[in-house]
This record gives sequence, structure tokens and C-alpha cells, in this order.
Amino acid sequence: MNRGPFIFIGAFILIASTWALLVQLPVMQGGNLEAYEVDGVLQPDALPGLAQKGREVYQELGCVQCHTQQVRLTSGSDLARNWGSRQSVARDYIGEEVAFLGSVRIGPDLSNVGYRRPDPDWHLRHFYNPRMVLEGTRNYSFSNMPSFSFLYDKREIVGEPSDKALKLEGEYAVEEGYEVVPSLKAEALVAYMLSLKVDYDLPEAPDPVKIDPAR
Amino acid sequence: MRLILNIFSSIFPNLEEKNGNRETERVIDASIRLPVLGMIKASIAWLAFALILGICSSMQLHDPTFGAGSSILTYGKVNPAFWNALVYGWAFNAAWAVGAWILVRLSGVALTNGFALIVSSTAWNIGLTIGIFGIFIGHQNPYKFLEMPSYVMPFILVSFVATGVWGLMTFKARLHRSSYASQWYLIVALFAFAWLFMGAQAMLFYTGVQGSFQYLVGSWYADGLINLAIAPVAFATLYYLIPKTLGTHVLGYRYSGSAFWFWILFASASGVSLMVNGPIPAWVASAGVIASFGLMAPGLTLGMQFFSSCFSQFERVWETVSMRFVFMGLIGFAYYLWHVCFGSLRISADTVQFTTYESGVQFVGLVGFAGMIFTGATYFILPRLLNKNIPQNGMVELQYWLQILGTITVAVGMIYGGESTGELMNQSTASVATIQKGATPYHVAVTFGFVMLLIAAVAYAINFAWLLASDRSEEEESAELIGQSPDLEYKTS
Repeated sequence: MNRGPFIFIGAFILIASTWALLVQLPVMQGGNLEAYEVDGVLQPDALPGLAQKGREVYQELGCVQCHTQQVRLTSGSDLARNWGSRQSVARDYIGEEVAFLGSVRIGPDLSNVGYRRPDPDWHLRHFYNPRMVLEGTRNYSFSNMPSFSFLYDKREIVGEPSDKALKLEGEYAVEEGYEVVPSLKAEALVAYMLSLKVDYDLPEAPDPVKIDPAR
Repeated sequence: MRLILNIFSSIFPNLEEKNGNRETERVIDASIRLPVLGMIKASIAWLAFALILGICSSMQLHDPTFGAGSSILTYGKVNPAFWNALVYGWAFNAAWAVGAWILVRLSGVALTNGFALIVSSTAWNIGLTIGIFGIFIGHQNPYKFLEMPSYVMPFILVSFVATGVWGLMTFKARLHRSSYASQWYLIVALFAFAWLFMGAQAMLFYTGVQGSFQYLVGSWYADGLINLAIAPVAFATLYYLIPKTLGTHVLGYRYSGSAFWFWILFASASGVSLMVNGPIPAWVASAGVIASFGLMAPGLTLGMQFFSSCFSQFERVWETVSMRFVFMGLIGFAYYLWHVCFGSLRISADTVQFTTYESGVQFVGLVGFAGMIFTGATYFILPRLLNKNIPQNGMVELQYWLQILGTITVAVGMIYGGESTGELMNQSTASVATIQKGATPYHVAVTFGFVMLLIAAVAYAINFAWLLASDRSEEEESAELIGQSPDLEYKTS
């Protein structure tokens, strides 16, 4: 092979055609999906405002480095773990300008965390210090989730304590006369967590087993 | 003052000449000395910085109190910053320090537009610095190796396109009309990166690909970055260094053409295998799995060429510092290839998907395979650029063994840790807490591996500084210091 143009054009044809076949073609064929109407409601539905703000916080903090948002049916034990009740499909993500499918599970999948953990107070305390919430619970032995205490304000109580102040006890308690209050970012992140639930069926992904929130 | 004079003397050597030894090579080396030294310096600095970030991110996985409560040090920011510094800072700077030097050497003429290369690599490093800063202030994207905010991407693209144009001009200006395998791979690496980068940027940030298909683009990009933009530079280095050091042709060179085309074909399609079981059409991931396994064919050809060439004169390989690194890089390549081919099969993915396995394989590809070869090449290039011997201060040996041990330790932690975790995560219902606790020894191993690699990087930096700033010995004053290497590349194709 002595000719430069031959190498260049040959490589261009190979790289461009594989891109066209394996990336562009699937995008053209399957990347123009629309929401599906279930009982007069379009699914997947748009996120409420605070949850939308929480998506931005989720992206900013790089939560996708440890958590996926995709449930597999034919592989793994996602269903047995109660992380979802059906295979995630492309239509589930159509409203997401930036999707958070993720590729690593240091922690659990979050596709349906809003089902599994419906209590906002649990999330607020969990983000402040995961170990504070998990210690002593069933099956707990270790958590390497970082603390997001920088999303909270520790402040002196002036007048009445805030309704939003975290209930901190034991080794996690703050000094007398002080309280820890979640910032807007923390509340938005929790709103986003609560919004994460695939609670609709799609023709391409019927829901065979409903999630049991009690598990 | 003396230090400054020594550095000046290293960069602008005034050598005693007796019989015009290697005159052409010395003129070529002088023409590219500054840009190559700049890129080597940048690669070492980024390597050390990346490893510090790597230690910070890995430590949090076994000690979550480390950096707790810090917005900057949180794992979700430090981990992508580590990978981006490693890939774009270390690997690309090292690859193109070596690649640019080989391209100019093979062109057979002195570089006339070296300033463009300096401006381009400076712009690259400034863009990268802004990008890493952007990750820390929360402007990151969720796609692997594309986490840097999109506002630095035009900056990086323009600087790489400038390098590409420079590369094509250098290739076009070559003295010998025949071309050599190293040149094919270098030209393809330049083109492939521009294509991958522009394609991914356009699809993700400008045309707005829908939902899950964003990850299809991301997978195609991340895998292509290693297999099409970095690995080819490592192959180019092997094709160049082996004949130069051993004085013989690469064995089985006539198969290089087919290996080249098949590598490009399969490497440009293998990335989508990472989307197996995901919310994209199943046939796409299946095609990616076939392509990943298909890499076995060109990979075996390349491996047999390089291994058999090295084994034909193994004593010489072991005696030569640069080739010792290169040989370890070859072993890294074999290990990387094994995991790329077999790790992509569905039977493997069922176990290792969503674990640290994939990151471990990428780490081996970047550091154990390509990184080792680039380090070896740097030890081949520096004495020629500076007309100085590699310092005999024990630092090279320290770097060599720690680089090997560190890479093995990280690979064990991520790859075997991923397999072990995957068995529990994907094939049982053990609690996440139990799985995390079980993975702790592997995370500790990764941290230790990073620490070893950081010490190796410091030794590397000391050697580089030593070479630049040390006094020139009597022997190093002479143009006879480096012997003539055979120009076999012009007689093989």
C-alpha cells in the first residue's frame, strides 16, 4: 500500500459505513418515538418543575457514575431485586434531553426508586449521610455512597426551628441551638428521586409483574 | 544559572561532529524537538494529575468518609475528571508526542511547520484544563469520555484538526513514495479521532439524539476512542521501534495490510456491543458483539508479528530500556485483546455488565498496552532528541517495575473485582450492601495500584527533568553517541 489517498479513502469508507449502519441507521429507525397515550394521559409524562431541577442536580453531581436507570429482563436479576417490573425500552427515555442510562452499578438501579422509596424524608436524610439512614436496617453491612451534606445548610436556630430541619440524633446530632436544613438543590434532587417510577405499560413492554413497594 | 544553561544545551545541542554520523536524522530531530518535548512534558504532568484524581476517586469506594461533604471531591466529579485527564491528558499527549516524531522521521524531511504543532498541542491542553475544571464545577455530561462540558469541545476539535492537517501535510511531503505500516496507522488515528469526535458531538449536543440512543452514540465513541484513535498509534510505534531496535524486519510484515483493514473495520463497529441488553434494537448490540470478537483476527496477526519479532532476539529486547517497556505493552495488548473479544460475548456480559470490569479493560488498553508502548517509545526518542544517555540512577527500573505492578494491581481490582461483583449483582439477589462490602478489597487494590503508578509517574518525571537539566558528559557532547539504525521500513513494502 503505497498511496496515501487509497489509505485515507479506504479508512473513511470503513469507518463511515459502520457508523452509518450501526449508529445512524438505528437512530433514524428508532430514535423518533412519540409518547403513548394510556387512559388519556401521554406516557412517559413530563417531569414536574422541581423534579426537572433535580435532574440537573443529578447530572451536575455525576450520580450516573454509580447508578444506572435501565432494567433488563433477559439478563441479570433486576426483576428479582425489585428494581423494575419490565424491560426498559427506548420509549421510556424520549422526554429526556440528557438520558441517564449509566453503565456502572456501584449502587442500585434507580429506574423505580420512587416506587421503592416513596418517603421524601428518607431521601433527605439519606443524601445528608447514607450511613445514618442505613445502619441498623435489614441486610445493611456497608455503604460507600458519599455524603452530600454540602447540599444542606447548617444554621443557628433563630426563633422557631424550621419544619424542614433534619432529625439528627446520636453521633449525627449537631450542636444545641443549630439545625440542618436542605437547600433547594437537595429538595429538587429528592423530588427527582420520587419521580423515578415506570408506572405505565407500553405495547412493546407490557408490565407482567407490578412492583411491590413493601419489598 | 547552570541549570538553565543545561536545559538550553539539551534543547539546542551543539555537538562535536566527526564524520557526519546520522546527519539527516539529527536535522529532522532538531526540527521537531520542541513540540515533542512539550507533549512529553504535558503527558507526564497529566499522568501524575490523573493518578492523584484516581486515588481520590478509588479511595471513596472503600472509605466513603474520604472527601465526605465536599462538593469538589465527590466521587461523581472526581471519577470522570480522572478518566478524562488520563485519556485526553496522558494518552493523547503521549500518543502524539510519539506519533508526530515517527511521522516526521518516516517522512524523511525536516519539519517545516513545527510551530503549528506547538500551538495545536498548547490549545489542546488549555481546552482540557478548562474541561476538567468544568467537570468540577458541575458542568459535566453523563457519557463516558465525553463528560467534559460541550463548550470546550470546539476548542479541542480545532486543535486536533490542526494536528490532523499537520499530519497529512507531513505525510504528503514524505521523501519516499512508498508508505510504511506505521504511517497507515497514524493517518487513520488522526482521521478516526476527528470523525468520532465530530460525530459524537454533533449527534449528542447539536442534533439532539433521542433518549437511550444517546448511549449508543456514547458507546460507539468511547470504544472507538481507544481502538481507533489510540491503539493505532501504539501499533504504529511497534512497527517503527521493532526494526529500529532489533535491526530486522517485523516478521510476517506482508500480512500487515490485511491486519490493518480488518482492525479498522471491526474496531469501528465493536463499541456498540457495550449496549447489550439495553433499550436499543437488539441487532445493533449483536453486530457489535460480532465485531468485538472479530478483532481477534487482526489482533492475532498483529500479536504474532510483534511477539515473534521480539522473541527472535529476546536478549536484545530485554537489554534495551525502550524495548523492555514495549514488550510489556505487548503483553498488555494480548491481555486487552482477550477481554475485548471474550468479554463482549453475551455469556460474559450476563455476569460483568454494569460492574467495574469494562473500566478495567479500558484501563488495561490505555495504560497497560498503549501507555507502556508510548513510555518505551519516549525512552527511545528522548536520547535522540537531546543527545543524552538515559540516566543510570535506578529511576527507570523503579518506574518499569512499579508501572507493571501498578497496572496489574489495578487490572485485578477492576477486572476480577468486576467479575466477582457481577456474579453477586447479576446472578443472585444478594443485597447491594453485601456486594459493596465484598467489593471493598478490590477497591483497596485499585487504590494501591494507583499509588504505585503515581510513584512510577514521579520517577518518570524525575528522569525527564534529569535528562533535560543534567550536565552533558564528554560522550554526550559527541554526535557519535547514538548509533545509526537501519532504514528497513523503506524496503519492506
